[in-house]
Amino acid sequence: MPSPTISTKKRLIAMLLIVSIFVLGLTIRLGYIQIVKGEELKKEALEQWTRDIPVKAKRGTIYDRKGKKLAISISTNTVWCRPADIENPKETAKIVANILEMDENEVLEKLTKKQSVVRVKMWIDKEKADALRKENLKGIEIVDDNKRYYPFGNFASYILGHTNIDQVGQYGVEKTYNKYLTGTPGRWIKTADAVGRQLPYENEKFYEPENGLNLVLTIDETIQHFAEKAALEALVKNKAKKVSIIVMEPKTGDILAMASKPDYDPNNPREPLNEKLKEEWAKLPVNEQIKKWYDMWRNFPINDSYEPGSTFKIITAAAGLEEGVVTPTSQFYCDGFITSVEGARLKCWRYYNPHGSETFVEGVQNSCNEVFVAVGQRLGKENMLKYIKGFGFGEKTGIDLTGEQSGIIPRSADSMREVNLATISYGQGIAVTPIQLITAISAVANGGKLMEPRIVKELIDQDGNIIEKFKPEVRRKVISEETSKTLLKILETVVSTGTGKKAYVPGYRVGGKTGTAQKVINGRYADGKYIASFVAIAPVNDPKIAVLAVIDEPSNGEYYGGRIAAPVAGQVVKETLSYLDVEPQFTEEEKEKFNEKNVVVPDVRNKTLREAGRILLRLGLDYNTETLNVEKDSVVIDQFPLPGTKVNKDSLVELYVKTKRKESNEIVVPNLTGKSRQEVIKILNKLNLRFNFKGEGKAVSQTPKPGTKVDFNALVKVEFDRIDQ
Amino acid sequence: MAKKKASDFTLMIATILLVFIGIIMVFSSSYPEAYYKLKDGYYFLKRQLMYSLLGVFVMIFFMNFDYWRLNKLSKLIYLGCIVLAFLIFTPLGTEYHGARRWINLGFTTFQPSEAIKLGSIIYFASYLTKKDRDIKNFKKGVIPSLIIIGFSCILILIQRDLSTSVTLGATLVAILFIAGIKLWQLFLMGAAGVAGIAAAIFSEKYRMERFIAFFDPFKYKDTVGWQVVQSLYALGSGGIFGLGLGKSRQKFFYIPEPYNDFIFSIIGEELGFVGCVTVIILFLLIIWRGIRIALNSRDLFACLLASGITSLITVQSLIHIAVVTSSAPTTGIPLPFVSYGGTALLVFMSAIGILLNISRYTELDRS
Repeated sequence: MPSPTISTKKRLIAMLLIVSIFVLGLTIRLGYIQIVKGEELKKEALEQWTRDIPVKAKRGTIYDRKGKKLAISISTNTVWCRPADIENPKETAKIVANILEMDENEVLEKLTKKQSVVRVKMWIDKEKADALRKENLKGIEIVDDNKRYYPFGNFASYILGHTNIDQVGQYGVEKTYNKYLTGTPGRWIKTADAVGRQLPYENEKFYEPENGLNLVLTIDETIQHFAEKAALEALVKNKAKKVSIIVMEPKTGDILAMASKPDYDPNNPREPLNEKLKEEWAKLPVNEQIKKWYDMWRNFPINDSYEPGSTFKIITAAAGLEEGVVTPTSQFYCDGFITSVEGARLKCWRYYNPHGSETFVEGVQNSCNEVFVAVGQRLGKENMLKYIKGFGFGEKTGIDLTGEQSGIIPRSADSMREVNLATISYGQGIAVTPIQLITAISAVANGGKLMEPRIVKELIDQDGNIIEKFKPEVRRKVISEETSKTLLKILETVVSTGTGKKAYVPGYRVGGKTGTAQKVINGRYADGKYIASFVAIAPVNDPKIAVLAVIDEPSNGEYYGGRIAAPVAGQVVKETLSYLDVEPQFTEEEKEKFNEKNVVVPDVRNKTLREAGRILLRLGLDYNTETLNVEKDSVVIDQFPLPGTKVNKDSLVELYVKTKRKESNEIVVPNLTGKSRQEVIKILNKLNLRFNFKGEGKAVSQTPKPGTKVDFNALVKVEFDRIDQ
Repeated sequence: MAKKKASDFTLMIATILLVFIGIIMVFSSSYPEAYYKLKDGYYFLKRQLMYSLLGVFVMIFFMNFDYWRLNKLSKLIYLGCIVLAFLIFTPLGTEYHGARRWINLGFTTFQPSEAIKLGSIIYFASYLTKKDRDIKNFKKGVIPSLIIIGFSCILILIQRDLSTSVTLGATLVAILFIAGIKLWQLFLMGAAGVAGIAAAIFSEKYRMERFIAFFDPFKYKDTVGWQVVQSLYALGSGGIFGLGLGKSRQKFFYIPEPYNDFIFSIIGEELGFVGCVTVIILFLLIIWRGIRIALNSRDLFACLLASGITSLITVQSLIHIAVVTSSAPTTGIPLPFVSYGGTALLVFMSAIGILLNISRYTELDRS
């Protein structure tokens, strides 16, 4: 047998060398993977082993100043799936869709998505969650979840705002305090094998979520209710586009209430409350819908500015008194026309019946334009602008709500013309936000301190410990205590004897000022569109509240602030003061009147509308039916206030009736020429037509023309022979 | 014949240690699959233990079975291998995971390709011993050798098992190299081999995908790169000292059949770099002793047989480690002695038995 040669042996040794090199190479490679890249690979591996389930932190509760819950988080369940772990997607989808009442294909699509986790359905109720748990489906997980809930629905919605589906604040304090409300989410970390089963190693970890902080608002739920109710009533009564009411505590700048109607329900922020609108919106393209949403979410008192009209005269008066250019007893003369301003024909609102000789106090009571133009002129542009700025106009108030506007004021004294100075003196040619105005008025009321409006009082934790307190902040001192006192007294007389009579509250000393302004749309005064407003301060001897009521585009005939906004503010003042336990101080005469005025609402349910009306009118009550198509023999099915409630005489009782819809909505417009205002109102109301008036006296023209066929609820514009401001 | 000496003790210890590590690692890595799928966590352990024990007997048998008898029996052995290869296509052949590579013997299954590897080595060594003087002759030596290599590879290739076929091919070429083939002819063959492998890769879609994935496994993590990425995760999370015996996470269905073609990554995960290097050293010991035995063997057949067996172990363990460390495209090669597999274990233990037997007839140890 042959034996191995030297060459064979050499080759064997060569082979050993080659192999050794290979082995060395592989060992180095191994070391590189395990040691150099080890950590990196380990991290990635860890990621695939661990199933990190976020545990949501509970969003903080929003309380009113008295501890009433306005926004809470409620526990619900959310269904997730891990598509990779689902064994039989079709069958699973069928079961899941069945329990969750969803479309099977939609579920299947989710179960087969190429994602590690997919949300199947949010916020399911407990029964469904239990039913699903029972099925014990692989890859389907039911996780505890929280949902934002606003127990009062469309209550204070513009203050609270709302959150999106992931509970991130979008509007209102939900947005501005989102950081505090959110908290820190926890995590539930478990390790799992490639099939999703838990690994037998004990390295499961649970990090507790840190719940969000609770917010205590300055809002008082009860006062907010008063404001909301008053706003809604004013909206309906005046067929207005919008009504906003703000109640502020002058000393602190605390907002006690801020209501706007119409509003929305933050539980369903994308659905209008009005059924008709809902249907309309549903037909709109998406981008149009979004536009509508944004409009709906606009918080008028903060997001919009308007021309304040006569309410602004308070500022002029404050400036005049502070600068000493006028005293309460200064004499003025109103001849109806302001001739001192060059290049403009300005007139007093009662030019047809001038105020004649009057003191400054009388001038304020009469809201006489001539007086304020004179005061403005005495102040001069520089000083006027100083006070406009001093009272915070033209700058943001700094309220903790979204989208605040700063209004429009003259850029500088030099840019102001004489006519600007004159019109600004009585509140025209300037744009303010309601929040600016109420803050300025509060400064007048509290002795001259311009406050920063406060909406959030403090942040508290789960155990009620105060984490952060927001103190009232004085922005600056605008006028002296003395000026404040003097002006308050003057304003009181406006309510007791002047244009603000309707805001008079028996037993309380209320000061206030009316305002009526034509709306400015696209830089021009819009025909027949007004903003009626009223500011009130009460009680003037020790101001507890300042109230601003703004009625946007009233269309029920009346549009004077003194006639429609003053009673609204008055009602809020009265209810709020009695709620705040401010002792009324009645005069003997008032006491008698009060008892006389009180009426118990009778039960008129199940009576015909004719009968009900008769009963209510006999008691001195007014009534109203919400629907327009009613007949005299329609049956009342419900009423508000309920029987037994004590109300004032002249109060409005809402009646709800069963309605029969008319076959045809076609209405022939009648001839209104020569008729009085009252007559016109009667006729048009009977025909279920909306109307818009201009002027006083006898009707002279109308659109549409008599004989025109219009739809039910169409708008008829009527002009009267006496047109004034 | 000369007097028998004691066999190579180092080789035997290294082998037994590897088999021992294999039993433990097969148990550890197979437990999840055995537990969840077969409802018996010890399923693979029991079989591996049984075959290891049987393997020790087989090793001892061949240690005492004089190797030159294999020279005489070589033709018969090779014929047996051919028969086994074709038995797969009879009803006895069983399919597993879509590949028909096993023969069902009723009580157990048998993987002919494992036997063919050793059978071919024995036959080739015997053939080259006979054609000793013709090896430098292209017509008389090289061509017939190539035919034998080709035929042997085809026996395995018909089972659609390219990687085993390549392993065997490389082993037989290594024998040819030791036997003294001219180097330029070897390089030519090497080139032809590479071309052949390339052709094989391009002809099959899944091979092509794996080949592409090799360059950036993380890019194909969810598809063809999955196994390699999981293997790297295992090695990486093992670090220097490992997660500890039995504490692999990757064996929980992240790495498919972790007791088989990827057992080395589980070793890396549980025992770390230290464990891996230990295993590598044990293999290096076996390779070193194997080559030493070949060097000191007193006849050509013993020399070629010993180098063939050593080559087989070398090629297979290097490919396994290369695949696991993503140094080569993914392919299914079990780690000799360690991976689960009865036939493989018995064949490798026989091979070591043969080596040990040869070692008993080596010339005096000079060291």
